[in-house]
Amino acid sequence: MRFIGYKYVEGRRVMVFVVILVLSSMLFSMMAFSLLGFYRVFGGYLGGGNDIVVVYDRNSNTPFTGLIPIYLVENISSIKGVMAVSPEVIVPCVLKNESVFLRGIVPEDFVKLNQLVMVEGSMIRLDDLDSIIVGKNLAERFDLKPGERVLVLSVFVNQYLELYVKGVFVSRSVMDDEILAPLYVGQWLRGTDYNYVTLMRVKVNSSMVDASVIFEAIGAKSSSVGSSGVSQLFGGLLSWSRPSFKIENIGVNEGQKFMESYLSRYGVTKESLIVLSVIVFLLCGVTIVVAFKTILVQHKGVVGILRSIGVSRKFLRVDLLFRLLFWSLFASSIGIVLSLIVLSVMQAYGFLRVLSHTVLIYPDPLIIILNFVLVFVIILLVILRSDLE
Amino acid sequence: MFLRRRGLFLSVLSIGFLVAILVGTGSVVNYINLQSQVLGGFINPGGVYIVLSKNSTSITDSRVDVGLVSLFNNVDYVKYVVAQRMLNVSLFTDSGVRVVYVRGVSDVGVFLKMRGAYLSGGVARNWTECDVGELFARVFSIRLGDSIRLGFNGVYVDVKVVGLFKSQTQSDAELIVPIETVNKLVGDNNSVSFIEFGLKDGVDVGKVGGEIMSMLPGDVKLVHVQQLKEFVRDMNLQVLDFLSVWSVVVYMVVVGASYVIVTRFVIESNYELFMVRVLGGKRFHVFGLILMYTMVVAVLGSVFGIALGVVSVQIVSTVLRWFWPSVGISPFFDVDGVFLTFLLVFVSAVLGGMYPAFKVVREKYVGQFL
Repeated sequence: MRFIGYKYVEGRRVMVFVVILVLSSMLFSMMAFSLLGFYRVFGGYLGGGNDIVVVYDRNSNTPFTGLIPIYLVENISSIKGVMAVSPEVIVPCVLKNESVFLRGIVPEDFVKLNQLVMVEGSMIRLDDLDSIIVGKNLAERFDLKPGERVLVLSVFVNQYLELYVKGVFVSRSVMDDEILAPLYVGQWLRGTDYNYVTLMRVKVNSSMVDASVIFEAIGAKSSSVGSSGVSQLFGGLLSWSRPSFKIENIGVNEGQKFMESYLSRYGVTKESLIVLSVIVFLLCGVTIVVAFKTILVQHKGVVGILRSIGVSRKFLRVDLLFRLLFWSLFASSIGIVLSLIVLSVMQAYGFLRVLSHTVLIYPDPLIIILNFVLVFVIILLVILRSDLE
Repeated sequence: MFLRRRGLFLSVLSIGFLVAILVGTGSVVNYINLQSQVLGGFINPGGVYIVLSKNSTSITDSRVDVGLVSLFNNVDYVKYVVAQRMLNVSLFTDSGVRVVYVRGVSDVGVFLKMRGAYLSGGVARNWTECDVGELFARVFSIRLGDSIRLGFNGVYVDVKVVGLFKSQTQSDAELIVPIETVNKLVGDNNSVSFIEFGLKDGVDVGKVGGEIMSMLPGDVKLVHVQQLKEFVRDMNLQVLDFLSVWSVVVYMVVVGASYVIVTRFVIESNYELFMVRVLGGKRFHVFGLILMYTMVVAVLGSVFGIALGVVSVQIVSTVLRWFWPSVGISPFFDVDGVFLTFLLVFVSAVLGGMYPAFKVVREKYVGQFL
C-alpha cells in the first residue's frame, strides 16, 4: 500500500491533538501508577513471598487494630521449619503534629525478617527503655537526627512518650516511613497490656511449613492453655501470662495474601484499580474525539480535494491512521514520562503519601502497554467512524 | 443559532465527562474522609492535657513556671494536676553507670494512681525515696529496698527503692521520685518540665479546651494528649493533597478541551461570524459571541458532569454492594465541592477558549480561521 506523499495534515494543527493525548495519557498513568503503587506498598506491607506468614486477629477491621496473645510466640517457635517469629505492635500516633506509624518490635527477631541498614546512629536493643530508630523517609520528613528527643502522642489512649532517636535506618520497604521501637513502647501507645501484640510475622522454610501447619499448631495448643503460667522469653525482660483465646479468632495467612484480603474487603483489588484508571481514560476519550474531529474540520478542504481526485475513503482512513499513529504513540510516551516525573516530584515533596506511608512509584509494564492500546483503540475507532467527505 | 451546531453535544459531553471524573473521585474521597472521621468519633478523646513551654520540642527541654499549678487547683472540672520534671541522670549500679530517665512528680501517689499502677511496696514520700517501674527494675536488676545513687552535673543523691510498680505505661521504664529529689539535683525550685492535668469524667473536652487555654500565659502551649482527631485530619489531608495535584491535570485537560471546542466552533461558524462583522458588528462583538459560546458549553458541561458524576458513583456503589456486600460505600459530593468544581471548570474552559477567540478578532478579514 502506498501512502499519499503530500503532507496534507499540518503539524501545527496536530499539536493540539497531541497535547490532548499527552494530558489524557498523563492522567491515566498518574492515576494507575499511584493506585497500583499504593496497592503494591500495602500488599507487601508485611513482606511478600510465601516465606513470610502472618498470625493475626480475624476480628480486626484493619491490620493495625487487632490483638493476639503474645505467648503464641512459644508455640510457633517450636514448629520445625519456622526460622524466626517477630511479634509486633503496629500503632498509629502523632509526632510533631503529623500522623506516623510506630512499630513495637523485638529487635533481635525483627532483623531476621527484615534487613535494616543503619545509615546514622545505631540499632536499638530490647532493653533500650526509651529509644527508637526511624526510617530514612521519616527522618527526612521531620528532620530527625540521632540524639534528638521527640514527643510522641498516642491516638488510641491517653499516653505521651518522650523518646530518644538512637538511629536512622534504610529498609527499602514501607518501614522507611515508620518508627521502630522496643515492643513495650508500642504496647504503651496501643494501650494494651504486655500479654498482647497486633500480629506476628513468621519466617518459614516454605518447603516444610505453610500457614495451615502454623494454624494447626496454634489450634492444638489453644485447647490446652488456661490463664495460669508465666513465660519468660527475650532475655527475661518481657514476661506474660497466658490468656485464653478462641482459635476461630486467630487467622494465619501469607503476608501478601493477608494484606490483599484486607484491601479486597473494601473493594480494592489490582483489577478494580486498573478498571478505575481505564474509566478515567475513556472519559477523557471524548475530548480526544473532539480534538480529532477538529483536525478533520481544519482539513476539510484538502480532504475534499483528495476525495475528488479519486482517493478512496478507506485509503484516506488508513493513511490518516498511520499518520496519527506515530503522533499518538509519541504523545502517549510523553504522557507516561511526564506522569512519572510529576509523581516523582510529588513523592519528593510529600504529596504522595497514603496512611502516612510513601507510595512507591513503579512504571508497571501492564499500564504502559494498556496506555498505548487504549490510545490506539480510540484513534482507530474515531477514524473508522469519521465522515471523510 | 450557534447552539444548534452539530458539535455542541459532543463538546458538552467532552467537558461533562471531565467534570464527572472530578466529581466521581471527589465523592469517593469525601466518603472515605467522612468514614475515618466517624470512626474517630467512636472513641471519646481522653481528657488528659500537658502544659509545655511554647518553644519546646520535647519534654526534657521544656521549662514551665511551677506557679502555674495553682491555676488548676480551683477549677471544678479538673480531676488531678501533677507538676513533673523529667531529667536524664546518671544511675550508678554495681555493673556501671548508665544514663536513665528520672521523673520527678509533685505527688507520687496521685501520679501512680492516675497511671493505674499496681504497686508492690509503698509510695515515695520524701526526696530520699523512689518508686521503680517493672521494666526499669528488670533491666538494672533493682529490688525493693535497694539503695541507688543518682548523679547530675556533679550533684549526687542516694535514694531508697520503696516501691515497685507496673502500669503498662512508659513509667514502667522509669524511676519515679518526688519533685524535691530532682530539684536537689538541678538546684532549681522554680520551674518544672511540664504540668499534666486530667479532666473529670463526662466533661466536654471540646468546650473546656478554649477556657483552659485562656487561663494560661502566652509562653506555654497546651497539648491534648490523645491526638485522634489530629491523626485522622492528617490522614485525610494526605489523600486530599494527592487529589489536588491530580485534579490540576484534569483542569489542564479541560483547558485543552475548551481550546479544541472553540477552534472547531470558529471554523464551523466562519460564515456566521463573517456576517456579524459585515453587518457592522465590532471585533468585541465577535469576541463576545465566541466567549459566550465557551461559557454556555462550560456551564452545560459542568451541570451535566456534576449530575453524571454524582449519579454514576451512586450506581456503581449500589451495584458493588450487591455483588460485594462488604464494600458498603456511599459516596457523596458536598455543596462547597459543587461550587468549587463548577467555578474551576468554568475558569479553565474560558481560559482555553480565550486564545482562539483572540486569534479570530485579530484577523482583518474573517476568512479561514486557525
